[in-house]
This record gives sequence, C-alpha cells and structure tokens, in this order.
Amino acid sequence: MALNSNQSLRKTRSVPQRHFNQRQLAGLWFILPAALSLLVIVAYPLLYGFYISLFRTNLLTRWDFRWFQNYIRIFTSADFLQTVFTTLKFTVGAVAGQFVVGLSLALLLNTKVPGRALFRTILIVPWLFPEVVVALLWKWMYNPLYGLFNDILLILNVISEPTSWLGSTATALPSVILTVIWKGYPLVMLLMLAGLQAISQEQYESAEIDGASWWQSFLYITLPNLRNVIMITLILNTVWWFKHFGIVWVLTQGGPINATSVISIDIYKTAFEAFRFGRAAALAVIVFFIVFLISFLYQRFLGGDE
Amino acid sequence: MAIKSVLVNLSLSILLITSFASTTAQTVLRVMSSTIVESPEGDVEQAIADAFMAANPDIEIEFIGTPMNDMFQVLTTSAIGGELPDIFTNTAEFSAQAQDLGIAADLNDLFDEDFLAGFYPTAIEEGTVNGELIFLPWFTVPVGVLYRADWFEEAGLAGPQTWDEFVGAAQALTQDTNNDGQNDRWGFAMVGTKNGSGFFRFTHLLRSQGAWELYKDADGNWQSDLGSEGMVNALAIYKELHDAGLVPPGVTETGYGEAVSLMASDKTAMMVTGPHTIGAILAQNPDLEGQIHSVPVPLGVDRSASLGVGGFSVAATSDNKEAAARYLEFLVSTENMLEWNRVTGRMPAQIEAGEQPQISGPVYAGFVEAIQISKPMPQAAFYTQIQEVMGEAYQAVLVGGVSPADAAAEAGVRAAAIIADAE
Repeated sequence: MALNSNQSLRKTRSVPQRHFNQRQLAGLWFILPAALSLLVIVAYPLLYGFYISLFRTNLLTRWDFRWFQNYIRIFTSADFLQTVFTTLKFTVGAVAGQFVVGLSLALLLNTKVPGRALFRTILIVPWLFPEVVVALLWKWMYNPLYGLFNDILLILNVISEPTSWLGSTATALPSVILTVIWKGYPLVMLLMLAGLQAISQEQYESAEIDGASWWQSFLYITLPNLRNVIMITLILNTVWWFKHFGIVWVLTQGGPINATSVISIDIYKTAFEAFRFGRAAALAVIVFFIVFLISFLYQRFLGGDE
Repeated sequence: MAIKSVLVNLSLSILLITSFASTTAQTVLRVMSSTIVESPEGDVEQAIADAFMAANPDIEIEFIGTPMNDMFQVLTTSAIGGELPDIFTNTAEFSAQAQDLGIAADLNDLFDEDFLAGFYPTAIEEGTVNGELIFLPWFTVPVGVLYRADWFEEAGLAGPQTWDEFVGAAQALTQDTNNDGQNDRWGFAMVGTKNGSGFFRFTHLLRSQGAWELYKDADGNWQSDLGSEGMVNALAIYKELHDAGLVPPGVTETGYGEAVSLMASDKTAMMVTGPHTIGAILAQNPDLEGQIHSVPVPLGVDRSASLGVGGFSVAATSDNKEAAARYLEFLVSTENMLEWNRVTGRMPAQIEAGEQPQISGPVYAGFVEAIQISKPMPQAAFYTQIQEVMGEAYQAVLVGGVSPADAAAEAGVRAAAIIADAE
C-alpha cells in the first residue's frame, strides 16, 4: 500500500499538472483561512518590522530610507554588545534557576509525599499572579527602608545596615533573576511532573532489582526519558525570558546605570524615549535571529537522533 | 382611516425621537491628562471639568489618565495608532518632539492675541516652537528647594542659599532620632532614578554650576556642557551627599513618589522640587501645613531656575478643536487657576492669578523668586537622549564607583555623538 502511494507520488511529480483538480482545490480552500491568518498575524508584522528597520523614522512624518545603516550602527556599538551580554546573563540565570527549582519540586511532587495535592496547588500560585503584581511585590520586599528582606537579614545579623538590593550594580541583576525564578518555576515544574508521570515504573523496578542507586536511576532512567520535555521546556523558557520586559522594567527600568538593561528594555527606550523607531525595529529583527539561533542550537544538541 | 392614523402617529414619533436625539447630541472631548491620576490634583481637575460640563451641556469631557513619566510614550503610541485624544498634557520638554511628530495644532489659530497676552510671556515662550504655540500654559512648577522649616529652626539654620549651606544643613539634619545606632532621618530626599523626575532635578544642580545640558551657540548649533568642569562639580556634589550618608539608602530607587513619601513621613528634611510637591506632601500628612518652606535652587556659580510650565495641547487630528478651545479657555480662568494653586501648590501661568495675595508668604517665597530668574528648557527632538546620558552619569557616580571626572568625560562624548547624529 505504501509502495503504491510512493509510486503514485513519483508519477504525479513526473507529470507536471497544469490545473488543480476539484479535490485539490477543496483542500486549498480548507487551508486558506489558516494560511491567511498566519500571513496577517505572523508574516506581515515580521516583514513590516524589517521594512521599518531600513528607515530613520518617527512613523508619522519622517521616513528617511537608510538601507542597512541601523544594523551597521548597532553592530559597531559597544553598548549593544554589553546589552546582549546582560541579556544572556539574565536568560541563563532565569532559565537555569527555574529548571533546577522546577525539576527538584517536580521530583518531590512525584513521590508519595503526604498532602501532595495541596503542595501542587500552593506551588503553582506564583504562575497565577500577573507579572506586574509579582514585580511590585518583590520591589517592596527588596526596599532598603521598609522591605521584608532587609528586616529579616538585619534581625539575623547577616547584614549590618539596610542594603539597596535593586540599587546596587552588584546585586540588581541577581535580585531580578531571583524574582523571575520565583515567577517562572511553576511552568517548568508542571511540564516536568507531566513528563515524570509518563515514565513507566517498571524501569525503576528493574533498576532497583539490579541494585541501582537513586542517583543512578535519576541519571540513566529519569533524565533520558525526560529529554524531549526538557528540550521543549528549555526552548520555550529561553525564548520567553530572552525577550522579557515586564518584571525587569517594573523592578529597575534597566538600572542602576545599565546593570539590568536587557535587550527588550533597550528596544523600548530606543523606540519610545529616543523615538528612533527604525533602530528599535532593527534591534527587534536581530533579537528574532538570536532567539532563532538559540532554538536551533538546543534542537541540535538536545534533540537526539530524531 | 386607521392606517392614516397609524402613519400620522408614526411620523410624529419619528419626529420626536430625532428632535430629542439632536438636542442631546454631545461632543465628547477626550482629554489625556497626567494630573487627573495624581492626588490631590485629580479631584480639582475633575471638579473643573464637571463645572464646565454643567455650563456647556453640549460637551462631555472624558479623561484618559496617564502618569507623567509615561505620558510621552503613550502619546507617541497613540499618535502612531491614529488614536490621539482631542487634548493632551504637554510640557516644554516634549514640545519640539510633538511638533516633529506633527501631532499638536498651532494654538495661535484657536486663541486670540488678547487672551494669550494674559499669560506670563516666558510661559508662552516655553510653549512655542518655531513660531507655533504647541500648548496652552496651565500651571508652572518653578524648581526650588522645599525644606522642613521647623527642623531648620530647631537646628538654628536658615534656608540654604548656596550648595555649601545645603550640604551643611543636610549633615546637621541627618540623625539617629531613636538612638538605635542607625540613621532614621536624612538631610536630602535625592531623586536618583533614571527617569524624567531624576533628570529634571539634576538639571538644576548642573545649571547652577554654570553648565548647560543642551543649548544653542551663537551660530545656532546645538552644544552640550555635559563634559565640562561644571558637570564634574555637579556630580561631585551628588557624590558627596550620597557617600556621606546624607540621603536615604537606595537612592537610585528613589523616584518622585518615594521622595514625596519620605518628606511626608518625616524621614527627610529637604527636596529639590516644585511647589506642586507641597500639595502632594500635605495630602499624605496634613500636620505639616505651614512647616514646609521654600528657597530657590542654591547658588553655585550661577542661579538656576526653570519655569516648569505644564499645559495642554489640542491634537492636530482632532475634529473638535473649537470645543477643545472652549474647554481650555474655561480651565485657565483666573478663578480656576487660583483654586488649582490652593489645593495643589502648582503656580498660575496667568499674570492676573499670579498677582493675587494667595501666591505669597514663606511657602512660595523661593518659587516666586525662581520665576524671576527662570530660563527656558531646550527645545530639541533629541533632548530626551541627552537627559538619558545625564541620568547614566549621575547613577554611575552614585552607585557605579565611577569618579565625577570620568563620568562627565563619558557623558560629554556621548552627548556630542547624539548631537552629531541628530544634525
């Protein structure tokens, strides 16, 4: 049957058809709404963004065509490289932190711990809060004058005077990353938990009979079985946090100086504070390709043989 | 006969409905305002709008509240999306950009010369770009120093006239009031955030040191003093105040709102700001009535003051320009300006209102003096980029371990690049 289909396919390919038959036309009509939606929702904004990136424009009264000048200026700017470096530090910290916390909690919740359903419900709470609420909550907790963290650390004698966690170039980025880990770990936890529950218990039982330790079971059974879930989680999370804006903006607005100035904040400021929409669009196009490259690399190194 | 009667009744009903509809047809004026979301400003502004609507039943005012620090971004986005309101808040900092975007109508076409002659000429000048009146002045917030007169009196100090006196007063008033080994009161509520609130305040310190962030030279070319000795001195003053612990911890997190709260909660003694802050402080702590006085920005090598004019533009795209002009004319009446001043502390932009006895006494003394020596803000579409450079410079000095000289040198190079790029 498969052979016949292949033969038929080869035959079709060898004789170019000049007209669609009625069946093929019907198929085209069926995919047309989806294709048009994709064209309008995905392709048009991308192409329009690229088009804008070729201009020096305020999007209203000035449209000066500049070829690739915006791109040249971005790539020759030390500020841009610094911003990309900060964004990579932020993304790696956020994704790695969420992965470790999310996977650890998923492993715990996958055991027969008493009150498991309650813990699952509580642990998912950070994911339910809007980003702005999370950021404001943590901003209050970090506050040097009346924040919770300073109070606790002073009582415990860990610090001798109030610290400005978001106001110091040394602690601002780690503080932002900690907030983002808290906000984002539940998604990782849920995905990992779903992956863990799909692993057959028989594999663990066989390993136990063979005398494997918990760590060996984790290394040789759990992780290989979770490989696809891990890859999807890492890709989704990396793409999401690489272009993240909300929490960083509310907490620090990219400061102090440029200590937390990730690329999305740079794009926002370029567009809406400097009103250089062409350059901002060029930055956005570059981000698209960086994220595309990261996704490709993940698939290349974690995707396995498929 | 029955059909004829039905037809007559139907015609009469239609006539009644259409005539009713025509009498109740209203012009809806959409007003994007920054002050409507502030307290106590919002209540007064709404009351004025309500009074206008009562006197003009054919016009309905619909406010769109937008915080001042987000105003220009929201405006730009609205303009690009073709969703500009009929009227929007504007200031001298954004006027040139508004004209560049082509979003503001020339108000010279909507108001006659006699009416405009009633405003302070400097206020009109601040609202004018290339001969076009971009916004109608509604209030001024001349910058000076607000200080706790009761604490100064206790310490035997007078309002600071020079920066040396300012630093000295900050030192004297930074105290550990509950003797727990930690300071809980500081001399100066420094606004160190990298946004409009921070830029605006640092600008006045900078100008008092004889340096201008942006100006036109004799040949009409843009220049900046951000790399000059004056900038080094200004940054050094900020650094001294910060490093000596005379400002509350977390200075780069202290925005305008936080600084107002620090003043209102008895945590700080001084703040560089405008008279509008008096209303905001008293709204949080009415017990401070009469205890907050003002002096002009302290003297460096020069006096620094700006009028800080705020007002409203009419959108170039508005179909309701006449109605908008009627509302603005009502808004800026002497009576409304005085009520606005009484509640918010913001000072009138209109001469007749400004000459009333209400605008006097030690509370306003510093600001009245500042008005006399105020200088205009630069009107360049790239001004916000220069401000951003200034913000990075003072934050680098405050928390980045960079020396004032190095920060000024870097700021000078960056400002020159921005000017070259713009030209």
